[in-house]
Amino acid sequence: MKIKTVMLEVVRIFLGICMISPILLALIVAFMPKADILASPFKLTLENATFANYIEAFQYMNLGTYMKNTFVMIVVCLPARLLTSLLAAYAFSHFEFPFKSVWFAILLMVMMIPGEVLEVTLFKMILKWNMIDTYAGLTITGLTDVSAVFLFRQTMQSVPKELREASTIDGCGDMKYFFSILVPVCKTMIVTFALRSFVSIYNSYMWPLLVTTKDEMRTIQTGVASIAWSSHDGLTLAAATITSIIPLLIYFFGMDEIVEGMTAGAVKS
Amino acid sequence: MKKKKKRALPYLLMLPTFVGAGVFSFYPFFKTILSSFSFTDQFGAWQSWAGTTYWDMMFHEDSFWQILKFTLVFAVVIFIGTFGIAMLLALLTTKKTKLGKISQMLYALPIAIAHATSSVIFLFVVKTDGGLLNSWLGTDISWTTNKDTAFWVVAVVTIWTHISGSFLYLLAGFRGVSDDIQEAATVDGANGFTKAIKIMLPMASPQIFYVLFLNILGAMKCFTQAKLLTSGGPAGSTTTIMYEIYLRAIRYGEYEYACCLSIVMFLLLFILTRIQFFCEKKLVFYQ
Repeated sequence: MKIKTVMLEVVRIFLGICMISPILLALIVAFMPKADILASPFKLTLENATFANYIEAFQYMNLGTYMKNTFVMIVVCLPARLLTSLLAAYAFSHFEFPFKSVWFAILLMVMMIPGEVLEVTLFKMILKWNMIDTYAGLTITGLTDVSAVFLFRQTMQSVPKELREASTIDGCGDMKYFFSILVPVCKTMIVTFALRSFVSIYNSYMWPLLVTTKDEMRTIQTGVASIAWSSHDGLTLAAATITSIIPLLIYFFGMDEIVEGMTAGAVKS
Repeated sequence: MKKKKKRALPYLLMLPTFVGAGVFSFYPFFKTILSSFSFTDQFGAWQSWAGTTYWDMMFHEDSFWQILKFTLVFAVVIFIGTFGIAMLLALLTTKKTKLGKISQMLYALPIAIAHATSSVIFLFVVKTDGGLLNSWLGTDISWTTNKDTAFWVVAVVTIWTHISGSFLYLLAGFRGVSDDIQEAATVDGANGFTKAIKIMLPMASPQIFYVLFLNILGAMKCFTQAKLLTSGGPAGSTTTIMYEIYLRAIRYGEYEYACCLSIVMFLLLFILTRIQFFCEKKLVFYQ
């Protein structure tokens, strides 16, 4: 029995290492000098480990600029998404108004149009508005998020009604209740969503690819992808490694919360 | 005055979301439909009616049918590969053990890696010159441009990027199966395999079902891998619908044709999600 348990544990860890082997591979190769990478047959070794690839990534690749552009995208889109969807969720969960179900149905219809289908038309709109290679073009389509409205609406509906009644008696207005009571109460869900949204903007590729042409407007993913076929593998993989650190850290430390929010929204139970 | 303000409040709260949805969802959606029946200028602005010119063109082109066929085969392969591996990993970690948390984290972490980054990493493995695979095997195969291997390069990378998400959903499903039921099965003499097939699978059917569609829809929307790994080649054999839409609109300047493709893609996704809702009601077992 004991041997079986140990064996199973070994198998588990082994499979785990297989799963992350592409990440490990990139990490190790990024530390190898050019001569070692080009050696034939290739040998995975850290004998002559060096930071040269990482330094080059920042010196010759505008990696800093790409990071800045990506962070502008996140800093603009993320708070906007959070605020707009929280406000709309507040309307749907705490207010009665004429044609509420119709408005709700309209939102449901938006959910049925996948963003991928609209991508090229949105690109033409950005082109027409003269927003190619601008931060406006990068961010303007991502300021609202209908799926977040549904997520937050669900969370807000589970907040006890007594809380609202008690605060009304204490003379708390609608907006004061929203900002100082409701939002703090829904904090966990908001943080979970924010983390996932952060990574999805950070990792986005197609939209930045469409609306940027200049190197200094590239984001992290389009920047790294632009040297995908370069023969300087150490540099490419160093860039891939550096840019993966932030999403990896977010998932590493926030895994339990993110997974809970992710699976709760997906499957009803 | 106060009362009027109060009545307007919910509308004010919804306003930003509805403006966003109107300008960046509904408007482009109808514009896409309209443009597929029109001639447009380089900015996508309407010029004149084209009737079904572009639709006819699309249906008469072999590439369109090839892409449809590829997309379906690709979706099935991605599903089988991802589901099989994610299922194994989830069953292995269902029971919480001391080191289980570590393996669970290792299985889940690749979810953080962007599709573009994954493609870049895998390119190093499959490149013809100086690629890892050729160097180790001592071969000279161009994995990404060979007709037999290009499909599998795109498939393997896509499967790898999908496993972690599927694993997490399945794990949540299996963990939801109560210990009592599992113990009862063990007492009745069920071994690990029987338990997995007869108890875990049916009990976690909502999650399994969700993962099924997650993978199929994900495979259909695949763009990055096709663009970065094979550029849709050789001879268009790994061109996904999404990549073809991109090629037509951006490279070839056939925005109207891309609109037709977008609508086909919308219909495919729409039908699939309808089937998903329908089957969920009929087939899924809720505790």
